Amino acid sequence: MLFFSFFKTLVEHEITVELKNEVCIRGTLKSVDQYLNIKLDNATTTDESRWPHLIACKDMFIRGSVVRYVHLPPGIVDTNLLEDATRREAEAAKAKAK
Amino acid sequence: MQDMQNGDSPQEVNQVGDTEDPSKFLGDIIGAPVVVKLNSDIVFRGTLQSVDGYMNISLERCREVDHNNKVVRDYGEAFVRGNNVIYICLDDGSV
Amino acid sequence: MEDKEEANNEPLDLVRLCIDEMVVVKLRGDRELKGRLHAYDSHCNLVLGDAEETIYVADDEDEDEPSRVRTITKKLEMLFVRGDSVVLIAPHAPIVH
Repeated sequence: MLFFSFFKTLVEHEITVELKNEVCIRGTLKSVDQYLNIKLDNATTTDESRWPHLIACKDMFIRGSVVRYVHLPPGIVDTNLLEDATRREAEAAKAKAK
Repeated sequence: MQDMQNGDSPQEVNQVGDTEDPSKFLGDIIGAPVVVKLNSDIVFRGTLQSVDGYMNISLERCREVDHNNKVVRDYGEAFVRGNNVIYICLDDGSV
Repeated sequence: MEDKEEANNEPLDLVRLCIDEMVVVKLRGDRELKGRLHAYDSHCNLVLGDAEETIYVADDEDEDEPSRVRTITKKLEMLFVRGDSVVLIAPHAPIVH
Protein backbone atom coordinates (compact mmCIF):
# COMPACT_ATOMS: atom_id res chain seq x y z
CA MET A 1 0.00 0.00 0.00
CA LEU A 2 3.01 2.28 0.44
CA PHE A 3 3.40 3.15 -3.22
CA PHE A 4 -0.34 3.36 -3.80
CA SER A 5 -0.50 6.01 -1.07
CA PHE A 6 2.63 7.65 -2.41
CA PHE A 7 1.22 7.99 -5.92
CA LYS A 8 -2.03 9.37 -4.54
CA THR A 9 -0.02 12.28 -3.13
CA LEU A 10 1.28 12.95 -6.66
CA VAL A 11 -2.18 13.33 -8.25
CA GLU A 12 -2.49 16.49 -10.39
CA HIS A 13 1.29 16.66 -10.80
CA GLU A 14 3.23 16.29 -14.05
CA ILE A 15 5.02 12.95 -14.30
CA THR A 16 6.85 11.06 -17.03
CA VAL A 17 6.10 7.38 -17.34
CA GLU A 18 8.71 5.19 -19.01
CA LEU A 19 7.35 1.87 -20.22
CA LYS A 20 9.17 -1.42 -20.59
CA ASN A 21 9.03 -0.99 -24.39
CA GLU A 22 11.02 2.28 -24.06
CA VAL A 23 8.01 4.54 -24.76
CA CYS A 24 8.05 7.70 -22.61
CA ILE A 25 4.85 9.56 -21.89
CA ARG A 26 4.52 12.84 -20.02
CA GLY A 27 1.25 13.98 -18.55
CA THR A 28 -0.76 14.97 -15.51
CA LEU A 29 -1.41 12.13 -13.08
CA LYS A 30 -5.17 11.98 -12.64
CA SER A 31 -5.52 8.80 -10.63
CA VAL A 32 -3.87 5.59 -9.55
CA ASP A 33 -5.14 2.28 -8.13
CA GLN A 34 -3.74 -0.50 -5.95
CA TYR A 35 -2.09 -2.16 -8.98
CA LEU A 36 -0.37 1.14 -9.73
CA ASN A 37 -2.36 1.44 -12.95
CA ILE A 38 -2.12 5.07 -13.97
CA LYS A 39 -4.55 7.51 -15.52
CA LEU A 40 -2.74 10.34 -17.34
CA ASP A 41 -4.32 13.47 -18.82
CA ASN A 42 -2.85 15.82 -21.45
CA ALA A 43 -0.40 13.10 -22.33
CA THR A 44 2.38 13.74 -24.82
CA THR A 45 5.20 11.44 -25.83
CA THR A 46 8.60 12.86 -25.08
CA ASP A 47 9.74 12.03 -28.63
CA GLU A 48 6.96 12.36 -31.21
CA SER A 49 9.19 11.38 -34.12
CA ARG A 50 9.86 8.05 -32.43
CA TRP A 51 6.29 7.24 -31.45
CA PRO A 52 4.08 9.16 -33.88
CA HIS A 53 1.16 6.80 -33.27
CA LEU A 54 0.79 8.26 -29.78
CA ILE A 55 0.35 11.88 -30.87
CA ALA A 56 -3.40 11.47 -30.99
CA CYS A 57 -3.60 10.11 -27.44
CA LYS A 58 -4.44 12.82 -24.96
CA ASP A 59 -5.91 11.00 -22.00
CA MET A 60 -4.71 7.53 -21.32
CA PHE A 61 -4.86 4.61 -18.95
CA ILE A 62 -1.55 2.81 -18.44
CA ARG A 63 -1.53 -0.68 -17.04
CA GLY A 64 0.80 -0.80 -14.04
CA SER A 65 2.62 -3.93 -15.16
CA VAL A 66 4.02 -2.30 -18.33
CA VAL A 67 5.69 0.52 -16.40
CA ARG A 68 9.46 0.47 -15.92
CA TYR A 69 10.02 3.88 -14.33
CA VAL A 70 8.06 6.90 -13.30
CA HIS A 71 10.14 10.07 -13.38
CA LEU A 72 8.95 12.31 -10.58
CA PRO A 73 9.11 16.04 -10.02
CA PRO A 74 11.81 16.17 -7.32
CA GLY A 75 10.52 19.21 -5.41
CA ILE A 76 7.29 17.64 -4.27
CA VAL A 77 8.67 14.39 -2.84
CA ASP A 78 9.21 14.56 0.92
CA THR A 79 12.03 12.02 1.17
CA ASN A 80 12.09 11.96 4.99
CA LEU A 81 8.39 11.20 5.13
CA LEU A 82 8.83 8.52 2.50
CA GLU A 83 11.70 6.89 4.38
CA ASP A 84 9.74 6.82 7.63
CA ALA A 85 6.73 5.33 5.84
CA THR A 86 9.00 2.70 4.28
CA ARG A 87 10.41 1.68 7.67
CA ARG A 88 6.89 1.47 9.11
CA GLU A 89 5.70 -0.65 6.19
CA ALA A 90 8.74 -2.95 6.46
CA GLU A 91 8.04 -3.49 10.15
CA ALA A 92 4.37 -4.17 9.49
CA ALA A 93 5.22 -6.68 6.76
CA LYS A 94 7.62 -8.43 9.09
CA ALA A 95 5.14 -8.58 11.95
CA LYS A 96 2.59 -10.08 9.57
CA ALA A 97 5.01 -12.74 8.35
CA LYS A 98 5.60 -14.00 11.88
CA MET B 1 2.30 -35.76 9.19
CA GLN B 2 0.05 -36.14 6.20
CA ASP B 3 1.49 -37.74 3.10
CA MET B 4 1.69 -35.37 0.18
CA GLN B 5 0.26 -36.76 -3.02
CA ASN B 6 1.86 -35.69 -6.23
CA GLY B 7 -0.16 -32.71 -7.42
CA ASP B 8 -1.32 -31.69 -3.98
CA SER B 9 -0.31 -28.18 -3.16
CA PRO B 10 1.66 -27.77 0.02
CA GLN B 11 -0.50 -25.99 2.57
CA GLU B 12 2.23 -24.00 4.25
CA VAL B 13 4.91 -23.15 1.75
CA ASN B 14 6.45 -20.62 4.11
CA GLN B 15 7.11 -22.99 6.95
CA VAL B 16 10.60 -23.99 6.08
CA GLY B 17 11.56 -27.06 8.03
CA ASP B 18 8.02 -28.18 8.73
CA THR B 19 7.91 -30.60 5.83
CA GLU B 20 10.63 -32.06 3.68
CA ASP B 21 10.18 -29.61 0.82
CA PRO B 22 12.75 -27.94 -1.45
CA SER B 23 12.74 -24.79 0.66
CA LYS B 24 14.08 -26.80 3.57
CA PHE B 25 17.25 -27.30 1.59
CA LEU B 26 17.65 -23.55 1.27
CA GLY B 27 17.09 -23.09 4.98
CA ASP B 28 19.68 -25.74 5.70
CA ILE B 29 22.42 -24.21 3.57
CA ILE B 30 22.30 -20.72 5.08
CA GLY B 31 25.84 -19.66 5.81
CA ALA B 32 27.28 -21.85 3.06
CA PRO B 33 28.94 -20.69 -0.17
CA VAL B 34 26.51 -20.95 -3.08
CA VAL B 35 26.28 -20.49 -6.82
CA VAL B 36 23.11 -18.71 -7.98
CA LYS B 37 22.09 -18.77 -11.62
CA LEU B 38 19.58 -16.26 -12.93
CA ASN B 39 17.29 -16.52 -15.93
CA SER B 40 19.33 -13.88 -17.73
CA ASP B 41 22.31 -16.30 -17.69
CA ILE B 42 24.00 -14.25 -14.97
CA VAL B 43 25.79 -16.25 -12.30
CA PHE B 44 26.52 -15.00 -8.79
CA ARG B 45 28.71 -16.63 -6.18
CA GLY B 46 28.58 -15.73 -2.53
CA THR B 47 27.63 -16.83 0.95
CA LEU B 48 23.92 -17.39 1.49
CA GLN B 49 22.75 -15.08 4.26
CA SER B 50 18.99 -15.50 4.15
CA VAL B 51 16.04 -16.72 2.12
CA ASP B 52 12.34 -15.87 2.24
CA GLY B 53 9.13 -17.39 0.88
CA TYR B 54 9.51 -15.70 -2.51
CA MET B 55 12.97 -17.23 -2.82
CA ASN B 56 14.43 -13.76 -2.50
CA ILE B 57 17.93 -14.21 -1.14
CA SER B 58 20.67 -12.13 0.36
CA LEU B 59 24.27 -12.97 -0.36
CA GLU B 60 27.42 -11.95 1.42
CA ARG B 61 30.58 -11.41 -0.68
CA CYS B 62 28.38 -11.51 -3.76
CA ARG B 63 30.40 -11.67 -6.97
CA GLU B 64 29.10 -11.81 -10.51
CA VAL B 65 31.16 -14.30 -12.54
CA ASP B 66 31.35 -14.92 -16.28
CA HIS B 67 31.30 -18.24 -18.15
CA ASN B 68 34.95 -18.83 -17.26
CA ASN B 69 34.22 -18.19 -13.61
CA LYS B 70 36.16 -14.95 -13.75
CA VAL B 71 34.84 -12.33 -11.33
CA VAL B 72 33.39 -9.48 -13.37
CA ARG B 73 31.83 -7.54 -10.50
CA ASP B 74 32.04 -7.53 -6.72
CA TYR B 75 28.88 -6.30 -5.01
CA GLY B 76 29.73 -7.06 -1.40
CA GLU B 77 26.40 -7.74 0.25
CA ALA B 78 23.48 -8.04 -2.13
CA PHE B 79 19.75 -8.75 -2.26
CA VAL B 80 18.61 -10.86 -5.23
CA ARG B 81 14.92 -10.86 -6.21
CA GLY B 82 13.63 -14.43 -6.20
CA ASN B 83 11.72 -14.41 -9.47
CA ASN B 84 14.99 -14.15 -11.43
CA VAL B 85 16.55 -17.24 -9.87
CA ILE B 86 16.83 -20.48 -11.85
CA TYR B 87 18.79 -22.42 -9.27
CA ILE B 88 20.78 -22.10 -6.07
CA CYS B 89 23.42 -24.75 -5.48
CA LEU B 90 26.17 -25.35 -2.97
CA ASP B 91 29.49 -24.02 -4.17
CA ASP B 92 31.96 -26.85 -3.58
CA GLY B 93 34.80 -24.68 -4.82
CA SER B 94 35.46 -26.80 -7.92
CA VAL B 95 35.80 -25.15 -11.36
CA MET C 1 24.03 0.77 13.53
CA GLU C 2 21.83 -2.16 14.46
CA ASP C 3 23.20 -5.51 15.38
CA LYS C 4 23.86 -7.29 12.11
CA GLU C 5 22.97 -10.76 13.31
CA GLU C 6 19.67 -9.56 14.66
CA ALA C 7 18.74 -7.38 11.71
CA ASN C 8 19.58 -9.68 8.83
CA ASN C 9 17.22 -12.58 9.24
CA GLU C 10 15.35 -12.06 6.00
CA PRO C 11 16.68 -10.89 2.63
CA LEU C 12 14.73 -7.61 2.55
CA ASP C 13 16.39 -6.57 5.83
CA LEU C 14 19.48 -5.86 3.78
CA VAL C 15 17.45 -3.44 1.69
CA ARG C 16 16.00 -1.84 4.81
CA LEU C 17 19.51 -1.10 6.05
CA CYS C 18 20.10 0.78 2.79
CA ILE C 19 17.36 3.38 3.35
CA ASP C 20 18.83 6.85 2.76
CA GLU C 21 22.04 5.21 1.50
CA MET C 22 23.45 4.95 -2.01
CA VAL C 23 22.57 1.67 -3.67
CA VAL C 24 23.31 -0.13 -6.92
CA VAL C 25 20.27 -1.71 -8.53
CA LYS C 26 20.67 -4.20 -11.34
CA LEU C 27 17.63 -4.36 -13.60
CA ARG C 28 16.32 -6.55 -16.39
CA GLY C 29 17.25 -5.41 -19.87
CA ASP C 30 20.94 -4.68 -19.17
CA ARG C 31 20.23 -1.63 -17.08
CA GLU C 32 21.67 -0.46 -13.84
CA LEU C 33 20.82 2.35 -11.44
CA LYS C 34 22.86 4.05 -8.77
CA GLY C 35 21.00 6.30 -6.41
CA ARG C 36 19.84 7.11 -2.91
CA LEU C 37 17.17 4.71 -1.70
CA HIS C 38 14.18 6.60 -0.30
CA ALA C 39 11.52 3.89 -0.40
CA TYR C 40 10.91 0.23 -1.16
CA ASP C 41 8.24 -2.40 -0.59
CA SER C 42 8.02 -6.19 -0.66
CA HIS C 43 7.66 -6.19 -4.47
CA CYS C 44 10.95 -4.28 -4.72
CA ASN C 45 9.20 -1.21 -6.04
CA LEU C 46 11.69 1.56 -5.28
CA VAL C 47 12.08 5.31 -5.14
CA LEU C 48 15.61 6.51 -5.85
CA GLY C 49 16.92 10.06 -5.63
CA ASP C 50 19.97 11.54 -7.41
CA ALA C 51 19.92 8.50 -9.64
CA GLU C 52 22.12 7.64 -12.56
CA GLU C 53 20.95 5.06 -15.06
CA THR C 54 23.43 3.06 -17.11
CA ILE C 55 22.19 1.10 -20.12
CA TYR C 56 24.53 -1.47 -21.65
CA VAL C 57 24.06 -1.79 -25.40
CA ALA C 58 25.84 -4.40 -27.49
CA ASP C 59 27.37 -2.86 -30.61
CA ASP C 60 27.55 -5.61 -33.20
CA GLU C 61 28.08 -3.62 -36.35
CA ASP C 62 31.15 -5.69 -37.14
CA GLU C 63 30.32 -9.38 -37.09
CA ASP C 64 33.96 -10.48 -36.91
CA GLU C 65 34.92 -8.49 -33.87
CA PRO C 66 33.78 -9.53 -30.43
CA SER C 67 30.77 -7.37 -29.76
CA ARG C 68 31.74 -4.22 -27.93
CA VAL C 69 29.49 -2.92 -25.20
CA ARG C 70 28.43 0.70 -25.40
CA THR C 71 27.00 2.38 -22.34
CA ILE C 72 24.43 5.14 -22.15
CA THR C 73 24.12 7.05 -18.89
CA LYS C 74 21.29 9.30 -17.80
CA LYS C 75 20.84 11.47 -14.72
CA LEU C 76 17.45 11.20 -13.07
CA GLU C 77 16.59 13.38 -10.09
CA MET C 78 13.74 11.38 -8.57
CA LEU C 79 12.67 8.04 -9.91
CA PHE C 80 10.09 5.37 -9.13
CA VAL C 81 11.21 1.90 -10.26
CA ARG C 82 8.66 -0.88 -10.68
CA GLY C 83 9.76 -3.94 -8.73
CA ASP C 84 9.29 -6.53 -11.46
CA SER C 85 12.31 -5.09 -13.33
CA VAL C 86 14.60 -5.45 -10.32
CA VAL C 87 17.23 -8.20 -10.29
CA LEU C 88 19.63 -7.20 -7.52
CA ILE C 89 20.02 -4.48 -4.89
CA ALA C 90 23.37 -3.84 -3.21
CA PRO C 91 24.81 -1.07 -1.04
CA HIS C 92 26.86 1.15 -3.32
CA ALA C 93 29.85 1.31 -1.04
CA PRO C 94 30.10 -2.24 0.31
CA ILE C 95 29.42 -2.26 4.04
CA VAL C 96 32.72 -2.68 5.89
CA HIS C 97 32.67 -5.39 8.51
